[in-house]
Amino acid sequence: MTKQSEFRKLGYLTLRNIKLYFKDKMTFFVSLITPLILLVLFIAFLQSTYENSILSIVEDFNLEQSLIDAFTGGWLFSSVLSTSCITVAFCSGMMVIDKINKSNIDFMVAPIKKSTLQLSYVLANLFSTLIIAFVLLAIGLIYLACVGFYVTFVDFLLVIFSIIITSLFGTILANIIWTFTRSQGVVSGVCTLVSALYGFICGAYMPINTMGEGMQAFVSLLPGTYATVLFRQGFLNGVLNEMGKTLPHEMIDAIANGFDAQMSFFGHEVSTLAMILVIAISTLLLLGIFILINSLKMHEKNKNKKA
Amino acid sequence: MSHIIEIKNLKKYFGSTKAVDDISFDVEEGELFAFLGLNGAGKSTTINILVGVLSKDSGQCFVDGQSIDDMAKILPNIGIVFQASVLDKKLSVYDNLRYRAMLYGMDKKEFEENLKYFIDKLDLKQILKKQLDKLSGGQKRKVDIVRALLHKPKILILDEPTTGLDPKTRKLVWDMINEFRRTTNLTVLLTTHYMEEASIADNVVIIDGGKIVAQGSPLALKNKFASDYIKAYKYDNRLLEILDKTDILYKKDKKCLEIKFKNTDEAKIFLVENNLLFKDLEIVKGSMDDVFLSVTGKDLKENV
Repeated sequence: MTKQSEFRKLGYLTLRNIKLYFKDKMTFFVSLITPLILLVLFIAFLQSTYENSILSIVEDFNLEQSLIDAFTGGWLFSSVLSTSCITVAFCSGMMVIDKINKSNIDFMVAPIKKSTLQLSYVLANLFSTLIIAFVLLAIGLIYLACVGFYVTFVDFLLVIFSIIITSLFGTILANIIWTFTRSQGVVSGVCTLVSALYGFICGAYMPINTMGEGMQAFVSLLPGTYATVLFRQGFLNGVLNEMGKTLPHEMIDAIANGFDAQMSFFGHEVSTLAMILVIAISTLLLLGIFILINSLKMHEKNKNKKA
Repeated sequence: MSHIIEIKNLKKYFGSTKAVDDISFDVEEGELFAFLGLNGAGKSTTINILVGVLSKDSGQCFVDGQSIDDMAKILPNIGIVFQASVLDKKLSVYDNLRYRAMLYGMDKKEFEENLKYFIDKLDLKQILKKQLDKLSGGQKRKVDIVRALLHKPKILILDEPTTGLDPKTRKLVWDMINEFRRTTNLTVLLTTHYMEEASIADNVVIIDGGKIVAQGSPLALKNKFASDYIKAYKYDNRLLEILDKTDILYKKDKKCLEIKFKNTDEAKIFLVENNLLFKDLEIVKGSMDDVFLSVTGKDLKENV
């Protein structure tokens, strides 16, 4: 038998987890169709509301309708994409499925480290989420091309970064929860809860300044909110710049603040870099917690073995 | 022969339930060792401790000279077939075997070579690309066994491998295992509640309520714990008169007269003394069912 690093084993396990997740074509379809339905619902029920909001701000100016369409399109799609990175991460994990099917026992009797197995679940979960998020992004870009495309290359990179960091954040958070359960009921319950709640508490479904003061303070404490605003900036910066050719700077600021393309923390404006740091540090903290939980579990198991 | 598995004073309690209660036994290299007991007797708990799925409360276990406290050294030498398949039902047979093989450090070339051996031996070619949940019970079990043997372990652990399988599939599974035992020096540790499987083992441990109640070869166990029988198919009726005058138990039906003796010596003496009264007979050793009933007071057939 040749020597093989734990890294290669990690690779094969991750590949196995991803393949297993996408083996069921319906899983992929449902994962993709859910955010698309949300987008269609947003367009059908909310687009005109947001258009009217912008028109009420810019009524004295002759702003092109195409810019308003591009702005609302970008806002709605950034809502869907930022939410999906979290909800798909929560609903595409293999860890609990393996526990339910008892496949995890097969890995316990194989010569691999428990940490390798756990990491493979996180990586597979992340890649599955990213695959769906990028397919969604492609669909979203086509949609934006139809309604008005003003996303610059730099903004596009910001969107890519936001997808990766938000998916990673959601994946680690989900896997921390999955470490403590072996029940499909718990998984379904958490998925439903996250799908229903996350969009509201991260400021994706409605602008933060339309919330009550207490709620505004609460959402500004959540890292997910900063991720949402990064998505907003990625999709709206370009169109806001274009609007700036027609509208005064103060009005652009008002629109950016009103529609979460800028973020304030208790009255202080938060820069893009600061937002990136908030979500990146939060993700690292979650990773630390995940590693700590698994180390403690391993320590407990080893202690029992030696007792 | 050397001990490939050594278990000393092993204990595992779940609350007040003594799942494994101070058991000790050894398994010799290359033998078929059967662990016989009812459901909940402690067989699977012992196996799960041995492969690191469960932790022990106390005692010592060694596999191939290594303590189970360091599972990393033990696991490459063990292949295990669980009672219910733990492979991925949605993946193909090939993918299942490939992903598992890589966990044992095999590269693709080595995997393909090892797989070829099993394809040739077990006629796997037709099912290799099939999804696991599309296979019959026997085919699935075949794949489970290949998964357990693909990395060429020294020990194959079979945790009730034929439970729920039809007789034809059970035979197929045993033909496979016997074939590998013939061609390699594979040690097989079997847990079962089927007497016919225990009776072909080299050594048997009978476990009841977490404790070992008997151990030895099937022959030794039968000699010690089971009765011998003379089955007389043609006999002189005076034989019945003689038996009525003794406290020897017998049973008569249309086919034969079955006379029960404590052991072979008793049967031989009776036969020598009354040889002229027997015209057609056979001496039958007690079964493992009798052994089990004798040592546990429980009928295995009723409890399975």
